[in-house]
Order: sequence, then C-alpha cells, then structure tokens
Amino acid sequence: MATLNRDVREVVREEPVMRARILAALDDGPMTIPEIASAIEAPAHEVVFWVMGMRRYGWLAEIKGATVDGYFQYERTGRVA
Amino acid sequence: MTLVTRDDPGTSAGGACHVPDATSRYDVLVVGSGIGGMESALKLGDMGYKVLLVEKEASVGGKMILLSKVFPTLDCASCISTPKMAATIHHPNITALTYSQVDGIRRSADGRFHASVTRKARYVDETSCTGCALCETACTVAVPDQFNADLVARRAAYIAFPQAVPKKAVIDRAGSSPCSYACPAGIQAHGYVSLIRSGEYEKAYRLVLEATPLVGTLGRACYAPCEAECTRGSLEGTLPIRRLKRFVADAHDPDRDGSGIEVAPPNGRHVAIVGSGPTGLTAAWQLARNGYAVKIFEAAPVAGGFLRLAIPSYRLPEAVVERDIDNVRAIGVEIVTHTRINDLAALKADGFDAVLVATGTHRSTGLGVPGEDRLGVLGGTDFLRRVKLGRPMGLAGKRVVVVGGGNVAMDAARTARRLGASSVTVAYRRGRDEMPAHHVESADAEREGVEFSLQVAPLEVLGDADGAVSGLRCARMHLGEPDASGRRRPEPIPGSELVLPCELIVSAIGMTGDPGAFVRQVAADARGLLAADPVSGQTALPYVFAAGDAVHGPTDITRAVGEGRRAAHMIDRWLTGGSLDGFDDRLAVVDKAAVIARQKAFAVRAATADGTTLVTAPTDFAEVEAPMTEAEAHEAAGRCLDCAVCSECRECVAACPVDGCIDLHARDQHEEVEVGAVVVSTGFKLFAADLKPEYGFGTFKNVITGMQMDRLLAPTRPFNTILRPGDGKVPERIAYVLCTGSRDETVGNPLCSRFCCMYSIKQNQLLMGALPLADVTVHYMDIRAPGKRYDEFYEGAKSMGATYIKGRVAEITETPEGNLILHYEDIENGGAITQAEYDLVVLAVGVQPNRDAEQLFEVEELALDEWRYVDEPDEDLNPGQTSIPGVFVAGAASGAKDIADSILHAGAAVAQVAAHLETAKADAEMLDAVRKAMVPA
Repeated sequence: MATLNRDVREVVREEPVMRARILAALDDGPMTIPEIASAIEAPAHEVVFWVMGMRRYGWLAEIKGATVDGYFQYERTGRVA
Repeated sequence: MTLVTRDDPGTSAGGACHVPDATSRYDVLVVGSGIGGMESALKLGDMGYKVLLVEKEASVGGKMILLSKVFPTLDCASCISTPKMAATIHHPNITALTYSQVDGIRRSADGRFHASVTRKARYVDETSCTGCALCETACTVAVPDQFNADLVARRAAYIAFPQAVPKKAVIDRAGSSPCSYACPAGIQAHGYVSLIRSGEYEKAYRLVLEATPLVGTLGRACYAPCEAECTRGSLEGTLPIRRLKRFVADAHDPDRDGSGIEVAPPNGRHVAIVGSGPTGLTAAWQLARNGYAVKIFEAAPVAGGFLRLAIPSYRLPEAVVERDIDNVRAIGVEIVTHTRINDLAALKADGFDAVLVATGTHRSTGLGVPGEDRLGVLGGTDFLRRVKLGRPMGLAGKRVVVVGGGNVAMDAARTARRLGASSVTVAYRRGRDEMPAHHVESADAEREGVEFSLQVAPLEVLGDADGAVSGLRCARMHLGEPDASGRRRPEPIPGSELVLPCELIVSAIGMTGDPGAFVRQVAADARGLLAADPVSGQTALPYVFAAGDAVHGPTDITRAVGEGRRAAHMIDRWLTGGSLDGFDDRLAVVDKAAVIARQKAFAVRAATADGTTLVTAPTDFAEVEAPMTEAEAHEAAGRCLDCAVCSECRECVAACPVDGCIDLHARDQHEEVEVGAVVVSTGFKLFAADLKPEYGFGTFKNVITGMQMDRLLAPTRPFNTILRPGDGKVPERIAYVLCTGSRDETVGNPLCSRFCCMYSIKQNQLLMGALPLADVTVHYMDIRAPGKRYDEFYEGAKSMGATYIKGRVAEITETPEGNLILHYEDIENGGAITQAEYDLVVLAVGVQPNRDAEQLFEVEELALDEWRYVDEPDEDLNPGQTSIPGVFVAGAASGAKDIADSILHAGAAVAQVAAHLETAKADAEMLDAVRKAMVPA
C-alpha cells in the first residue's frame, strides 16, 4: 500500500483480499466509507472501489435514506461465501 | 487472446445468436453494433437483405445503452435502446455475432468481399445460459468494469451489463497464467491462489485435489516451477505459491471437511497399478474418481515410493505423505505393500482390464571405480531408504563423502549431517553453477554445514585391511567445452589427485529403473527404462501402460504427478474406446510483458519471508520450513496479478445451475464469410482525460469524466446513488469543464465533439433532479445547441438553476479534503482570473476516431480523413460512401455525431448499400443475359 494513487486495476484486484477486513470492521455496526477507511487503515478512494464491488455482489448494502454528514452507511448483508 | 482453430461441439454454438456455417454468404457485413450499426442492420434486414452483424463486445448496443437518458427528450436510454437491441438480435434477416471480431476483409475481382471472422470463446454455452449471473457472483477475480467506466469492479465471469442482449455470461480469459501453465502436474496454481485470497481455503484444497491427492506433499517437496514463472517475480518477488498450497493442505481437516472429492459410481472396470509413488498414486486417484476399481501393488513395506523412501522428513514428514495417501484410500483404492509384481500378464488373467507400471527409478548408479564394493559404499537411494525405514546407520563421528550434485546427493548429505557425521562433503565433478540440484537444496545444505568439494571426480575407493572404506581418491577436473547437455564437460587435470578421507561414501550420481521380471513382457533400455509410446504411455502389450520415472528416468514429483494424470487419462480413453490423445488442451500462456503493461504503475509490496530455519549442525529430522500463518497466506495470495484474468478456480462451474453450461475447454472459432457490401460502424473513442494533466483526472479522485457521470446517473449505476469516488460523499457542488480534449490544439484535436455541450446540459438537469440541494456550474467556451429543441433544453437547464460561466479552465488543484479548486478566466465578468471550489468536477470529454476501422481491410486501404475518421470523399452528395466501392460508413465512425444524427447517417449509408447491391445485381443479371444470348441455341 505504498502509493497514494495506485492503478485502478491494482486496487480493484484487491477487493477479495480486503473483503474480510471490511466485513470484520462492519461486525460492530454500519459505517460510512471514511469510517471504514479509518478502521482498515486504507485510503478512502480505494475503499470506495472495494465497498461498491462488495455491494454489487451482495456482501453489503447501504442503509437507505439518511446520510451522516453526506455519507451513506453500509452494513453487512449476511453473505458469507 | 490465443486464437486456436477448433470447432468444439461443447462450445457456445447457437442460442440467441444465429450461427453461420463455414461457407456463409450474406448481402452485407456490418461491423459494430452501436446505434449506427444496429440501425444499418435493421433497415437492411427490413429491406430483405441478409445481414451479418459482428460486434466485439459481449452485447450489442454500443455506448448508447450505457447512458442514463438521451437529450433533449430525456427518454431513458435503456428504454429506447433495448427494443432496438432485441430487434437486431432476433431479426430474421440478421445474423448477429457478439463477442466476435473481424480479422480482415478482402475485396475480390467481382466486387464482393471475403471476411475472416473470429468468434471468441465465451466458455459459456449461449443456448443453456439463463443469464442468472451466479457464475459472476461466485467468481474470485475482480477487474475494472469497462461498462461502468472503471468506477467499480466486475468479475472475470461476467454479464456485460443488466440489459445486455444477448444476456449471456462470458468468461474473460487471456490464456493460461504462467504459474498454472508451468506446472507439470497440471495444477491450477492461479486458481488456488485466487481462492486463498478470497478466504476459501477448503475450496483451494479441493481444486488441487482435482489434479492429485498429494496436496500436502507438493506443498512441501515440490520445486515450484510455478514460482519460477510468476510474473510478480519481475516486481518485488514471486508469490510463495508452493507454500500457499501447503497452507491449504494444513488447513484441511478430513474429519471436518470430508474427503473433498466426488467419486463416480463404479463402472465395472479394474485397473492394476504397479508402484505407489507419485505417478501411481495420482493415476489411481484419477481412475478411482472416474469409477474404476483400482489396486496398487507396492514391493516396498510402505506405500509412497520416493515420497516415503527417499525424501527426508525435514523436507517431507511421513505423516504428511500418509495423509495424502489416505486421500487415495478414502475413495476406495486398495494398496497392498510387500508385493512385487513379476508377471504383468498374470494381472490381466486376474481380471484387471488394464495395468499401469509406475515403478520409478530406485536403483542407484554405481561409481564405476575400483573398490566400490567395499564395506561403506552405498547408493544414494539405498542410503536414504535405510534411514527412512529406521535402520541404524551408525554415522556418529564418521566422515561421509557424497558423490554427485543432484537433489538426492543433497538429501543424502543433509541426512548424514543429522545422523551425527563429523563431516559431510559433497564431491561433484563440475562447478556449483552446473549442479543439477535445485539451488535452494544446495544452498540449504551449505547452511547446514555440508562442505562442497567441486570439480573432483572419483578414481578409486580406498579401504583398510578389513575391507572398510577409508577414503575416496579423486582427480581434480577443469571444465571444457559444453557437452550435449549444455553444461561444460569436466576433464581431468593430470597429476592433480587428492584423497577425501571418509568412512562412508554415498554414490548419488544417478538412478536407473528396475523393470524386474516383467522386462520380458515390456521392453526396457540399457538404463532399465521401459519402452512406451511417448504420448499415450501404452507399451507393446496394449493393456499395459507405463509412466513416470520408470519410462523417462529420474525427474521430480510434479512431473511424476503429471505423468500419473496422463496415464489415467490414456487408460480411461483406451478402456472406453477413445483415441489416445486429448490430454493437454491448455490455452497458450499469456505474455508476461503484456500483463505488466496492463498497469501504469505497481505498488511495491513486501515479499513473503521464506519461513525456513536452518542450523549449522542439525541434530534431528524436524521440518525446517515453518507453515504460513493465515494472515501471511492471505496477504501473499493478494499479490497475485491475475495474469490470465480468469484463474480457472472453477467456482463458476460449481455455481452454475445448468450442467455443462460452462465449458473451459471451449476454443475460439474462425469463419470465412462472403458479402456483397460492408458497413463500417465502429463508432468513436472517448478522449483519454489524463492527457490533460492540468485537470488532474486519474490523480484527483473527485475529477471524473462525462461518461462516468452518465453511469452514476443511470438506473444501473455502479454506486447506490451519485457519490464522489474519492470518499463516497454525496456531492453538493458540482462543476463541469466543457471541451476537455476537443477544440483543443494542445492535444491535437481541433474538432468540436458536437454533443459534449448537450450531454452536459442533460446531466445538469438530471443532477438537479436527483440532488435538489446540489449546485451545478458549467465552465464553457460557448454552448453549441443547434438541433431541434436543443437550445430550449439549454435554457431549461438554466431556468432550473444551473450556472454557466464562460471561460476556459486553466487548471484544477485539490484541497486536503479532496475538494477541487478550478482556476479560470471569468470572461463575462471582466476577464478576471478566478477560483471556485467544488466537491466534484466532471470533465466533458470529447470524442476521437476509433482506430479499429483502419485495421479492417487487408489489401485495399480504407481512406481516412485528416483527423483519422473514416473518410467520406463525397460526403455532401453521397454521405456514407467511402474510398472503397462497396464499403460504406455509418454513424460516428466518420466523425462525431449525436444519437439522432448517427441514426440519420446510418439511413443514408443504408440507402447507399441498397443502391450498390441492386446495381451489382442488375449488372450480374445483364451479364448473365448476354452470356445466355451468346450461347447457340
């Protein structure tokens, strides 16, 4: 995780690796992307790729409606494998 | 993508797409299925012409289907595209080939065209695929989704987009990954690595089981040719692929996880296997899984061959081998030890339908020097075997010389160290660089205190009066010219003799086969290696097959495993009446340079520590390599570059509800077609926004393109709503920068892109509807809204609250919070240099020609205009005509056009095509009439 601006392909490729960390972070409840980024110590723009990829394939979902300071919260869906 | 000609009956033939036969003729070939291509194909089809439509993507629809809405009507792009897409696919006069490409077009003397078309393998049967996307959900490889402008990941197995027509999955395969391709055992290394990074350890274990039961063994004792080929090796270092395999083997718990493999019902056939080494065990495993009743005959007191009788426990513990062998027993294979087979025909008489001889090479080659029959001279395999069987060696305090430079020599030397030898010297006739031993083995031996006496060759075994060994007289050697093996030939230096004093000499200079009594039934060469067909392994006795080291001489475990797989395949083919071929159908290996070139940069990751602990004077046979922790394995697997994209983990196959729908053995198909006319409708490319570095695209995460915003606005958007990519925040202040990469001499594109103003205005309106509190500002040079209701559309956006600021943006900078500062000249307010801060900036990128059109024609050159769009030499009076008679252009391939203009232009091209075809038809009829008139009645 040495560079600030990594190639999109590289960031996206890491989604399966980061999945466990993100799901573990969400075990304690829903989080916004900046909160997830802080929890797993990763750049927020990379977390966007991973969260949206996980959302697309059913690992997590946004809490609809309200935002926290302009950010949606995301929570686990129950998918485990 | 490797193009392999093979019409595989199991591949994607039929389904929603019509399939032409090899000699198909059409009236028109339409290249590209964007709005211009679809419109051309539909109108020509309606006129009764037979049309072949070729689209390189997995769905028809081009860029229009990816848009949110269209201007100025704000009709849903999907709603108006999908009927046209469906009509195109299902039109009785249109044959639509998606995921296909035109390789070349040639015009013949009669004015018709011959085209070569490749139908790329989808690896999914279009007929039976239901579009359920379960394969996509299960896939373990994530790549940027080009249909979502790289804003989100898709999978290697994917459906292009939700409205895709045909809505069929595709598996993105660039070939074979170098690691998987390099494995002689046929193990899908990339596959299990991708499963490990997904946390699917048991599935990774089971994937290795698909090839061999020896998962734990290979996880420890394999020399990992996969790692030598790992593309990551050119970065910070190869992945520890072998140790990852060990990790999943250690993680597997048979009591908890079961045997991990499915076995077919008994098929009533029996196979005998002679030898229980890696070849025999793997063959037994594969045959038993296919329903054969398999019995292994082993002469030794334990099963496992070299695994149990040669490889020392510090590299491969007996318990690991036993656990792997238990895999074989668990699926019903019977293993009998202490049973030497002397008569292969007797096995046949006993009811075995086929026999596999996999007896390996257990006999050590002698030194061939005087005195080698003295007490204290042992063959390398004999020495290791005695130790493995627990026989006392009494080496404490003795000096040992091991002759040879291979892996057996290293094993013997390191074993002698552990048995208390006071000194162990490896005597080898060449230098360190020429040693056949794996470099890790020789390095580890040295670290454990083994000494090397290099470039010496034995002349005589010296002994005492009792006949016991007292030393080895050797000649020093120098290295001459390379011999047939490519290694420099050792030659003795006259008068250079030396004596290596010792009490034990281990001869590890080679191994030979021991065909035993059945040599009379199966021929063997002077080295004792059996004669068998090099492809099938079948011997002169048709029911007897031979494989592994017994045929090829000593190799290594992975090759032995691969031989076992091959033998099982061939025996199955022979017993079921098939031809003895078809074992290896791997795709060609991907080009590692091309894999590296996919990325502009790579983050350097910490290479995985090797985990080996060595001491100078080892005293026991405890395993020297520590297992990886779960965190280490997960992190290491995460470094994989997905060279071939698809990892062949087979999760898609397991997830697919339709048996046989996914076929990884499918291959590309090539077809030749003849047509009367060609329509080029290859569309346009979007300007690469990073070519304007002053705008920060690719650097500032909240600077996006117009197409990315269209995806964010679309109903099938990649995010849950319109969010900025930098941190997922709902933007409140959004700016547009028009003319990014168009009307811009600095990037070599002076042309107006014609629709950037309008799509920006469209997005302004949609944004203000979706985010009522957001401020939308457009920085423009001038607004070009010349079409019907276009200017009204622009005025409507202004009345909704969008702000339009005239003046070119000079630069964009970023705040620490990820906001963007636009620096611009505010022309309408005195021309002051001004700054404004936004949450999100959208670059309204222009269009560029699609250079694919240049590659279509093989002999005649398709003329391009000065901007490299397809030229229309007479565009005022004959739009759609190109420089080649019979070739026409439709849509934005000839220049930037919006959707409405593309459709109009396609209509013009269609009229030109019809005129051309009818003229050609009339000419042919007239010529025919003249010919008939000239023939005497």
